[in-house]
Amino acid sequence: MAVELPKHAKGERPYFFDDPAVDKLLAMLLAMAGELSVLRDRHDTLERIIEKKGLITRQEIEAYEPDKDAIAERDAKREEYLNQILRIVDVEISGMGKNDLSNEWQAVIDRVSEEA
Amino acid sequence: MEIQDYKQYPHTILPETTHDEFARQEFVKSLKLHLATNVSPKNQVIYNQVVKPKFEKNHGRFPKDRHEVRQEMNQQPYYRLWSSMLRSSQEMMWSSCQIPVARQLKKLIAASKQDGVKLGSLKLNPDLEIPKYHSAVDIHCQPGAYHTEVCEDDVAAGAIYDSAVYVYAMGRMGPFNNDMGASQCEYIKAEYPDLQPKRILDLGCAVGHSTLPYVDAFPDAEIYAIDVAAPMLRYAHTRAESLGKKVHFSQQNAEKLDFEDGYFDLIVSHIFLHETSAKALRNSLSECYRLLSDGGLMVHSETPPYKDMDEYEAFILDWDTYNNNEPFWGYIHDLDIDDMVSEAGFNPSKNFEALVPSAYEAAEAKRTYLFQGGDFGGGGIWYLWGCRK
Repeated sequence: MAVELPKHAKGERPYFFDDPAVDKLLAMLLAMAGELSVLRDRHDTLERIIEKKGLITRQEIEAYEPDKDAIAERDAKREEYLNQILRIVDVEISGMGKNDLSNEWQAVIDRVSEEA
Repeated sequence: MEIQDYKQYPHTILPETTHDEFARQEFVKSLKLHLATNVSPKNQVIYNQVVKPKFEKNHGRFPKDRHEVRQEMNQQPYYRLWSSMLRSSQEMMWSSCQIPVARQLKKLIAASKQDGVKLGSLKLNPDLEIPKYHSAVDIHCQPGAYHTEVCEDDVAAGAIYDSAVYVYAMGRMGPFNNDMGASQCEYIKAEYPDLQPKRILDLGCAVGHSTLPYVDAFPDAEIYAIDVAAPMLRYAHTRAESLGKKVHFSQQNAEKLDFEDGYFDLIVSHIFLHETSAKALRNSLSECYRLLSDGGLMVHSETPPYKDMDEYEAFILDWDTYNNNEPFWGYIHDLDIDDMVSEAGFNPSKNFEALVPSAYEAAEAKRTYLFQGGDFGGGGIWYLWGCRK
């Protein structure tokens, strides 16, 4: 099933720095930190299992050379990885960052708060 | 399946995660806890030591309300950095929960359609209009919000929400995300021992996190739950069946329900009303009055109102109004309960407010004991209000 879930929340996105690029870079940095953390967890899992089973040594890991298939698989995974990290880039382009009612957030508050 | 207090309970329709998907969600949980514990509280230091003295020098007085505090804090680099990171953490939370759901949506839909144990029921209404206060902006930044359906029989929004609430609360609402409902049940049973409800209604139930505790707390009652969003209800029904809880779910708007007058003895909601509008709030409370039997009780939980807070505390809890797609949050935190219940037909002398301790003690070590944006459940206390008919 090829479904596409919406990537961005509808509603004007607030930016906190004078230049929104700073917020975007920070978002990327946090995403990077997240992906690095994912990797560290995975590494930790591997080391724990390997250690338990006494299967391979550190030297073997250092000496490993990926073959053609492994390279292709890693390329594809890296593309997916970049999509994650650079998620914020197209926030406006997707059209989801815009507000139907008004571009002003105050107008949204007023609208839901208005008398009947 | 054994219940573990460090992870979500794996009921039938809980999305499975690969190693890395789980690690990504765990990172967001850690990031949120770090921001709430180590970064957010220092905004108050900035306020007290930089903003307040400067404001007094320029104006001869201190900021008078949360709006003045916000204007000043918006200029502070520390606050900007924290806000920017908190907003990102919210977006990362949804994204990290969306990835596994997108991958296994077909399987989740199949699970929702399987005829398993039939305890409760599910009644959908495809003609129900999604209210403007849900369709205008995606509440708390969930892309597509509660109601959006991307395919037939969609359960994606419910599945994403179930995982995301666990990350959002940083696990501090327990393996079933049910702390609010459980705490509210304990309060009702302790304070109203004479109340023996035959039927209970939960408004804006989403996936039923807070609904299910009522099944155990009131074993003699029939439990009903409504929501406007079909993907939530499909998921909620399967989840409840999987956990062996009998609940009757139906797709309805709390502003106009199809039950008879006086049908319920207890009507509850949990962090629901702040996601509506002024008009919807009035309509929903009027419906509560109509639907309650004589002597019946309504109880709603929210975060505490601003009236008992100083200008800084109100400001920091009000972060979501401007920065987390919660446009009605500020308005409802300013409301007067006497006025609200009177307008709905209740006798205001029978209303109450209460600060109730969390029923989930295992999370004590991870609490900040603060009410602040991005730290839901950190206070370890729930604010309840309501009225008896």
